[in-house]
Amino acid sequence: MRCLLVVASLLLGSAWSSRAAEVTIHLSDGQGHAVNDAVVMLTADAAPATAAVPEPPVTHIIDQRNETFIPYVQVLRPGDKVVFRNSDTTRHHVYSFAAVRAFEFVLRPGESSPELIMDKTGIAAVGCNIHDHMITYLFVSAVPAIATSSHGGDATLGHLAPGHYTAHVWHPQLHPGRPEPTRKVIIASDSDVAHLAFTLSLMPDPRMSMDREHLDY
Amino acid sequence: MRRACLLCLLGLSSSAACAQDFKLHAWLDGRLVAAPDEPSWTNGGLGKTRFGNGGVDAHFGGAGLVGTAQFTPALLALAEVQFQNTDYPTMSVIEAYLRYRPVSLSRWRWSAQAGAFMPPISLENDAIGWTSPWTLTPSAINSWVGEELRAVGAEGRVEWRGDVDTWEWRSALFRRNDPAGKLLAARGWSLSDLTYGLGSRLREPDAMVRRFGQQPPGRYDPFQNIGNRSGWYANLAWHAPGRGSVSLMRYDNRADPAAHSDSGVFAWHTYFWTLGATADTGPVTWIVQAMDGGTEIEPVDGLQLETHFRSAFLLAGWNRGAWRPTLRFEHFSTRDPRSDAGIAQGEHGNAITAALNWRPCDWLRLTAEVLRIDGVRTQRTEAGLPAASAITQVQLGVRLIY
Repeated sequence: MRCLLVVASLLLGSAWSSRAAEVTIHLSDGQGHAVNDAVVMLTADAAPATAAVPEPPVTHIIDQRNETFIPYVQVLRPGDKVVFRNSDTTRHHVYSFAAVRAFEFVLRPGESSPELIMDKTGIAAVGCNIHDHMITYLFVSAVPAIATSSHGGDATLGHLAPGHYTAHVWHPQLHPGRPEPTRKVIIASDSDVAHLAFTLSLMPDPRMSMDREHLDY
Repeated sequence: MRRACLLCLLGLSSSAACAQDFKLHAWLDGRLVAAPDEPSWTNGGLGKTRFGNGGVDAHFGGAGLVGTAQFTPALLALAEVQFQNTDYPTMSVIEAYLRYRPVSLSRWRWSAQAGAFMPPISLENDAIGWTSPWTLTPSAINSWVGEELRAVGAEGRVEWRGDVDTWEWRSALFRRNDPAGKLLAARGWSLSDLTYGLGSRLREPDAMVRRFGQQPPGRYDPFQNIGNRSGWYANLAWHAPGRGSVSLMRYDNRADPAAHSDSGVFAWHTYFWTLGATADTGPVTWIVQAMDGGTEIEPVDGLQLETHFRSAFLLAGWNRGAWRPTLRFEHFSTRDPRSDAGIAQGEHGNAITAALNWRPCDWLRLTAEVLRIDGVRTQRTEAGLPAASAITQVQLGVRLIY
């Protein structure tokens, strides 16, 4: 039985990876500046014929440098682990009171937290109780086609089966209460390449990057 | 000898580890000022600006040090000292307090602090040295806060942290702020960035000093106990990042208006409401604040000398990266409620401030500012001056930040 499951997984996995269809998405703000750290997802409008094979859990490192969490947004799969590493010369008190996972770690310089399993989907805002201006987001999602935008504002979602999809965008600085930015997209064949562009209206960055003038105590 | 060296090394490495949670920040400010002709209140005059006596001169704007120590993840100590030489050279303590803020794994978080600290009034002065990053000169409201208000006591704070906004309640019991209000009664409002700390003394108008048979200069410590009463304040604030904030506060120093110090400084019973808000509309930040209150003394049984005061301002700052032009309009007034109708004693006036800030790098701020004040103050006639005045102060400021 176990052998059959392994074979089926390999077959499904190779079918998934053999598809070359992809959607490239470019995100910019109202001034034409590229938007990085946005989460982009594609959800199929109809249930897929074959279920995606769950990927093995991955451990992600969230670094703390110059009183800034790096990265600003981290996408995780349910079951993935996260480790907080303190690369600063000062202590940090990393914590979250999110519904998906509440935790706290006091990290001395050079220290890393134990692995933390994120097994529920949702968004966890993570802060530092010593430095209130530090914030990062753990975006835990089971959606197969998901990525974060690069510094150039680009994200690519590949290995797509033909079908009708909806593209969703999430960013920590989107205005609360406004409709989620979405766009319909059709993948006609296994080799189709679609391009989407989103213009986002973002609130100011809540992270105060080491501003000597604002001490934030 | 070898053991001693080893112990020294261990000691050094241990102090280096401790030093990781100690931080030092500093600022140094210089100005080129085209001052109005009228003598400034900081030199005993009735001029409302920091600088006076005309001319174009270079001035020392001030220097300060801020030290913090994070003793434990929850316990912070902060001290801020400042050197000024406007009026007279003085080193003073702007703030010095201990704060305990444990982590909370719920939406509620509480903290407490004790020591000497600024009441949470100003929506402008959130930069190092309690300065404003929008203009060189803060509004009349926050000029007065920097001159006469300080809480020496304990404050409790409770926050409720939502997904998109935060509610915050702060309340404090304090002492050593009994003369607060004296300057508004004797001098009226000012527009000045001279922040006073514990250990500094405020200058009274020479005309008022002479009126009471004394020889100028007259100075007093605004941060002293007179009588035996504690004051309080309570502040309710709402913050929504990217949208704005609203803050409502009540202050009452509960000073005994009949009490006075050995040197003749009265305890001014001062109370006020202040309401402020900030909003972001695209690249423009708006700040609006209003204050309404009163102050009184009772030098003789049954004789109450009262001054009502109010002021409001609207500030707009255009955030254009390193450049930030700012414009502020404000109105201010004081009034003696016992004065006869038609010849009310007090003052009323308006001010407009235009500033252009440039931060070419993290450690440098350059600011050009024009401040125009038009006002009428009836008490000026007692000093042989016309009641009405119109003054303009132009400044170029350089601030180095470490």
